Amino acid sequence: MTKDYSSRKLERKQRRCEAIIHTDVGIESSEKPTCFLAILNAGLSTGLTEESVLSNAIQYAPVQQVIMLPNKSYCFLKCDNVNNAERIYNHMHGRAGLEQRGGVVYLSYFKSLPICKEENIWTKPLPEGLVLLPDFLTESEENMLLKAINIEDVEQSDLKHRRVKHFGYQFIYGENNVDPTKPLNEKIPNECDILWPLLKTEMTKLGLPTWDWDVPDQLTVNIYEPGQGIPPHVDTHSAFLDPIFSLSLFGDVVMDFRRGSDRQPLKLLRRSMLVMSGASRYDWTHGITPRTLDVVPSETGLTVMPRQKRISLTFRRLRRGPCDCTFPTLCDSRINAQSNLCPVITDVIAAQLEEKNVHSVYDCIAPHFSETRHTPWPRVAEFLRSFQTGSVLLDIGCGNGKYLQCNNNALTIGCDRSSGLINACLERAKIISETSTNLPNAFRCDCLHVPVRSQAVDGCISIAVIHHLATAERRLAAIREMARLLRPGGRALIYVWAKDQRANDNKKSAYLLQNKALNKNKTTVEQQRQCAAAEVQQQQTEQFEPLIPGAPQLPVHTNRTDFMQQDVLVPWKLKGASVANKDANNSAPSSTYLRYYHVFESGELEAMLAQVPDVELVQSYYDQGNHCVIFERRQK
Amino acid sequence: MRLSTYNFLTSKAIKGVKVGFPLKLTIAKQDVVESEFNPTFIERLLPRLDWSGIRLAAEVAGLNDDIPAELPANVAENEELLKKLHHLLLEIDVLEGQLECPETGRVFPITDGIPNMLLNEDEV
Repeated sequence: MTKDYSSRKLERKQRRCEAIIHTDVGIESSEKPTCFLAILNAGLSTGLTEESVLSNAIQYAPVQQVIMLPNKSYCFLKCDNVNNAERIYNHMHGRAGLEQRGGVVYLSYFKSLPICKEENIWTKPLPEGLVLLPDFLTESEENMLLKAINIEDVEQSDLKHRRVKHFGYQFIYGENNVDPTKPLNEKIPNECDILWPLLKTEMTKLGLPTWDWDVPDQLTVNIYEPGQGIPPHVDTHSAFLDPIFSLSLFGDVVMDFRRGSDRQPLKLLRRSMLVMSGASRYDWTHGITPRTLDVVPSETGLTVMPRQKRISLTFRRLRRGPCDCTFPTLCDSRINAQSNLCPVITDVIAAQLEEKNVHSVYDCIAPHFSETRHTPWPRVAEFLRSFQTGSVLLDIGCGNGKYLQCNNNALTIGCDRSSGLINACLERAKIISETSTNLPNAFRCDCLHVPVRSQAVDGCISIAVIHHLATAERRLAAIREMARLLRPGGRALIYVWAKDQRANDNKKSAYLLQNKALNKNKTTVEQQRQCAAAEVQQQQTEQFEPLIPGAPQLPVHTNRTDFMQQDVLVPWKLKGASVANKDANNSAPSSTYLRYYHVFESGELEAMLAQVPDVELVQSYYDQGNHCVIFERRQK
Repeated sequence: MRLSTYNFLTSKAIKGVKVGFPLKLTIAKQDVVESEFNPTFIERLLPRLDWSGIRLAAEVAGLNDDIPAELPANVAENEELLKKLHHLLLEIDVLEGQLECPETGRVFPITDGIPNMLLNEDEV
C-alpha cells in the first residue's frame, strides 16, 4: 500500500516535471527508453554542476553530452546507446547522492534533446586569434622555469582566490593596469629567454603570423590550488600589446572563453603555451571556473578531470599608450575617449533626437513603463505633502500620475509630453478611483513651454524629466520654465539620473542592485556589455533605423551597470508578449527601444540653478541614484 | 479636465501672444463627479485662481447665476457660495471640447478629458 502510494506520488512528480520541460524547451518525454535522459529536479538553479552530474553518471555508463540550461532546475544527458542510458536511469532514478543536500533525483527518457548552441562545444573552431601549442616545453625546461620564478616565497597575497607574483612591472588589481613609470627591480628571469625564439619558430611552422615587437617585459605568475579560479576578464586593452602568452606549468585546467552568450572551453595541458591575439585577446573574455573537477572530452564521450595545483605564467608587453584595436566593446581606450567626447548638438537636432529617442519611445513603451512605475519615491511624496491646504502643485512630466494623489489637500495638476503616458495616467486613475473620486488633472505639453500662468503655483516637481533633454541650453530652459511658474516663496523639486550610481559611500544604487545575474556572479560586466552590444547591433540590422543627419553617434548603455559617459542611449526592452499572454507559446520577439539620457555629474544641477535668476537653492541631495535639488523663488 | 485646471491654462507660449488668458472654452461633453466638500480647501484655493477665468467657466458650464461678477470679501462665511465654487471647479469634468487662444484663435482639442496643449516647434 505504502509502496504504491509513494510510487504513484513519484510518477505524478515525473509527469509534472516533464510538462514543465515540454513548455520550456518544447521536447517530449518518452515512455520507452531512449538515449536521452533528463534529470527532472536538479539543474543549475538548484546548485547542481555539470561536473557533479557527469562524475556521478559515468560511474554507471559512458556519457556523450551534458546539457545544463541556465536558471533551470533540470538538465539532460546523452548516451551513445539506449543500454547505457538505461543503466544510468536504473542507478540514478529515485536515489539520493547526486545533490549535495542528499535529495533524491528523478529521471525520465526524452525523445530528443533541447536545441542548444553548445552541442559541439569541444569541436568548435577556437576563437579567432587563439593558438594552443601543446607540449611546448620539455619536463626539464618546465623544472628549470619553476625554479627560476621561485614561487616558494610567494605569500598569501591580498587576492582572495589565488596567489600571484609579478616580474618587470607590478599589476595593480584595483585599476587592472600597470604603472609604466614604476618598473620592478625583479625583471623577467633570463631563463625565460628560451621561450621567444621557440615561439616564433612554432608559429612560423604553423604558418601563423608573429608580432612586430621584441620580447615581453611583464610577467604575472598565478598559483592556483585545486578548486581555485579566476573570474572571466579581458586583459586591459590599453595596458598591454597584442598578443598575450600564457604558459601552463605543473597541472592541467580547463579555461573558458566567452563572448556574449558564446562559451568555449579549452583544455590547457601542463607545459602548453597559449597565444591570445586578435579577437581572442581583445573581444573574448577568459577565465577559470573555481571547481575541483573539469569536464573534458574522452574517448567514450565526456569525463571529469580532477584539478591539480597549476602554475600559470602570463607574459605581456606594456603598450604605453592608448589601444588602437578594432574591437570596441571591451576597449577601455575607446570607452574613455567616448566619455571625454562632448557631442555638439544644435537645438534643431536636439529636438529631433528627443522626438526619436524620447517621445516616440515613451509612446511605444508607455503601458509597460507604467506597469513598472507605481510606487512614489518617499522623498518626493514628502516634498509634496509639505504644502499647505489649498496649495496648487504642478507635476511636469507626470508620467502615469503616480505623484498626483500624494497630497489630497492640494490641487495637483500633471502634464506630460507623451500621450501614451497620459493615457496610462487615466487608466491608473480609473483603478484607484474606485476608492477615491479624485480624478487626475492632466494635460499634454512640452516641459520647455508649460501652458500655465506665470507665478501661479506653490510647488512644482520635475522627476526624471530634464535628463531627457539633449543640450545644456534646453536643460537650463526647463529649469527657467519651472522658476517662471512658481509664485514668490514657491518651491520646486528636480530629480535627474546621476552618472555616479554609487554616490552613497560607494553603495550601489537600486538600479545597479537589480543586476541580479551580476550579483550572483553568474556573469560579468564585460559579458553583459558584449550581449547588449550584440543585441543592439542585431536590432539595428533588422529594423532600418533612419539616422538623424548631424546627430552624434551616441553610445548604448548596458543596463544595470555603471555609466561610462554622460550622453547615452539607454535600452528599454519591451517583451513581445504581454504578461497576460505569457502562456501563449508564440511569444512575439521582444524589441529594444533606445531612450536618450544625459546623466548628471555631481554638482551639475546646482551649477545650472545658479544661472537662473530669482531662485535660491534650498537643498541638494542624492537619492535612489538621482541628483536632486529643491529651490525656492525669492520673495519680491 | 476639471475647471480648476482650466483656470491655470494659457496660450502665452505661442509666438507673439501677449496674455493668452483666459482661453475660450467649448464643452462638447462633460461629466459630473461628486467629490467631498472641503470648505477650507476651496477658501484657500481661491486667492490662487483668476476670478475672470472662474466667471468664464461658469458661463460655459451654464452656472452663470451661481457665481457673482466679483469675488465677495466675506467668502469664508458664505458656505453656499463655497459649495457652488466647489461644484464648478472640482466636480465638473470636461471630457470632450476645446480651448482656443483669445489672440490667435489657435485651437487646443480636449479628448478623453485631456487637453492637448502641445505646440509645434514653429509656433513658439
